[in-house]
Amino acid sequence: MNSSSRIAAKRYAAAYDNLSKTTEDAIRRAADLAVAAQALANVHTWLNAPEISLAHKQETVRAALKKIPQTASFVEVLLEAKRYNLLPQIVQEVQALADKRENLLRAEVFAAQTLSAQEKTNIEATLSARYHATVKAVFHTDKALLGGLKIWCNGELIDGSLQSEFARLQELLTK
Amino acid sequence: MAIRPEEITSIIQEKIAQFKPSADISEVGTVIQVGDGIARVHGLQNVKASELVDFGNGIKGMAMNLEYDNVGCVLMGPDTQIKEGGVVKRTGEVISIPVGKDVIGRVVDPLGLPLDGKGPLKAEKNMPLDIVAPGIIDRQPVKQPLQTGIKAIDSMVPIGKGQRELIIGDRQTGKTAIAIDAIINQKNIPEKERCICIYVAIGQKQSTVAQVVKTLTDFGAMDYTVVVSATASDPASLLYIAPYAGCAIGEYFMWQGKDVLIVYDDLSKHAQAYRQMSLLLRRPPGREAYPGDVFYLHSRLLERACKLSNENGGGSLTALPIIETQANDVSAYIPTNVISITDGQIYLESNLFLSGIKPAVNVGLSVSRVGGSAQRKTMRKVAGTLRIDLSQYQELAGFAQFGSELDKESQRQIARGQRMTELLKQNQYAPLTVAEEVLVLYAGTHGYLDDIAVAEVLSYEKQLLAFTRAEHKEVLDALNAAAELTAEVEQKINELLDGFKTVFKAGK
Repeated sequence: MNSSSRIAAKRYAAAYDNLSKTTEDAIRRAADLAVAAQALANVHTWLNAPEISLAHKQETVRAALKKIPQTASFVEVLLEAKRYNLLPQIVQEVQALADKRENLLRAEVFAAQTLSAQEKTNIEATLSARYHATVKAVFHTDKALLGGLKIWCNGELIDGSLQSEFARLQELLTK
Repeated sequence: MAIRPEEITSIIQEKIAQFKPSADISEVGTVIQVGDGIARVHGLQNVKASELVDFGNGIKGMAMNLEYDNVGCVLMGPDTQIKEGGVVKRTGEVISIPVGKDVIGRVVDPLGLPLDGKGPLKAEKNMPLDIVAPGIIDRQPVKQPLQTGIKAIDSMVPIGKGQRELIIGDRQTGKTAIAIDAIINQKNIPEKERCICIYVAIGQKQSTVAQVVKTLTDFGAMDYTVVVSATASDPASLLYIAPYAGCAIGEYFMWQGKDVLIVYDDLSKHAQAYRQMSLLLRRPPGREAYPGDVFYLHSRLLERACKLSNENGGGSLTALPIIETQANDVSAYIPTNVISITDGQIYLESNLFLSGIKPAVNVGLSVSRVGGSAQRKTMRKVAGTLRIDLSQYQELAGFAQFGSELDKESQRQIARGQRMTELLKQNQYAPLTVAEEVLVLYAGTHGYLDDIAVAEVLSYEKQLLAFTRAEHKEVLDALNAAAELTAEVEQKINELLDGFKTVFKAGK
């Protein structure tokens, strides 16, 4: 995706987010858009096909998303503006805006072994204290780390893995 | 020599003991696009302009474009190992170069990595490349001469310590030769007054740089010279930072009260490297496709040349930027920019070069705006009217070509001009001391050459210098010591020249 498309996706996301008056509303709308994107993923090619008329596409979207009419309208606008292909990026941006309203940060945690529930809770609590925000982490296992943790959160990389410790030691010994 | 395993073990143990394990926390972004030496990075929200970023595998980059949703970085190494989605770390540092007295005599790249195979540099500190030039209060006017050892330049286009004198001309007109001669000539100057020299090669062939280093080594000039090299095979980013790296090394010595001479060879290629980077970063192109800030690119570099006040140690940084013109066109974009920034220019002309006048300095178009006040009084007295005399000669020589009858005075001027033009010719790598220059020019301007055939002028000069060095060294010493050309010194010179005339004529 090029820079102008990313900027356009951010602008559409901001417009969609502005429809929400409260944080709860924004969270609900973000969830609605994610559901809509997931539901329409199977007909992505059809919705992008030029031989299908815009009216037909809009009618289909309206029918498919009739339980979430405002989200359906938003998708119809995207179709009309020929920006439907930006939807996956817009979903991410809307989610980021909702998280910001909620003071929520998302983290990805890589560990060499599977962590216990208590360890996971401790990690989230430590990160929450560090960033002064609620942190929701997704946990992965990566045996290449050998030990320790590697955490991606709030644009930062906290690397306390044995793998990187060994790399630094190697650098020190070979310098 | 036997290897003792215990020694190696103890070294390793010592190093391991120094190692402090800790979690590495850094602000990171991800590469979204890479190619042509440019990477676009998503994230790095707090990165600063010109900050160094780490792409891993030892490859660094510099944040150049801070945009709405990405950061445009120029890479300081090959981009083949960088992949989309790769992690980029902030370093929190601006780009800097290791400096110290051990840098002298070395050949380094713009990041301070040695290229001469003489082992790692022992740096005393790191100097940031892009520093704001010293302000008005920190400076004093240019007042000390910087001798190049080239008669035509020291007499007519004098350079002062702290000046910025442009060397401009087409390809193969002897631009680099003048700069190299100026460096070699520092060997003739007492160590106390000698400049530390920095030669910055920008976008040149590696073979050319190797040749320059060899020449400097052969003449013993590497003892006080640093070569900063970013060759044509290096990325544009290295070419872009090369002059700033050289300048940072020079400033380190300048702030220690030393005199420094820096040669930027050449700024045309520097501007081209910056144009390449700017276009790839999608900055809007302007005249000749150069970006809008190409003037600032050179002005902020050359403004760093200065003569510091006595309170700041009195050090100086003299800059000799070189610009290559196309078909003698000095009105192109980059030449006019640099002409307007510098304190004068030495204009070399291919026609003069091809007609055998070397150095091919065009006297009419060459000028030194501040060097005159720094010129030694002995030289000023001898060469005071030389420029005007030569200009008048060129004008009269034009008339003489039409075969018109000329009066005696005009004929005398033409004869004098022909001899002076011949006298100002000088071989490469043969710089003269200031006393020798004064002596030779004195002979020319005081009519001692008038009855010598034009073809014999150079032979006369050569023999005069050999004769004086061998038998009348006291005249050269007197000229070196004299603050002014007093009657007493003039009498000594006259006696020497009268005596030599007899020797010269007898030897023919």
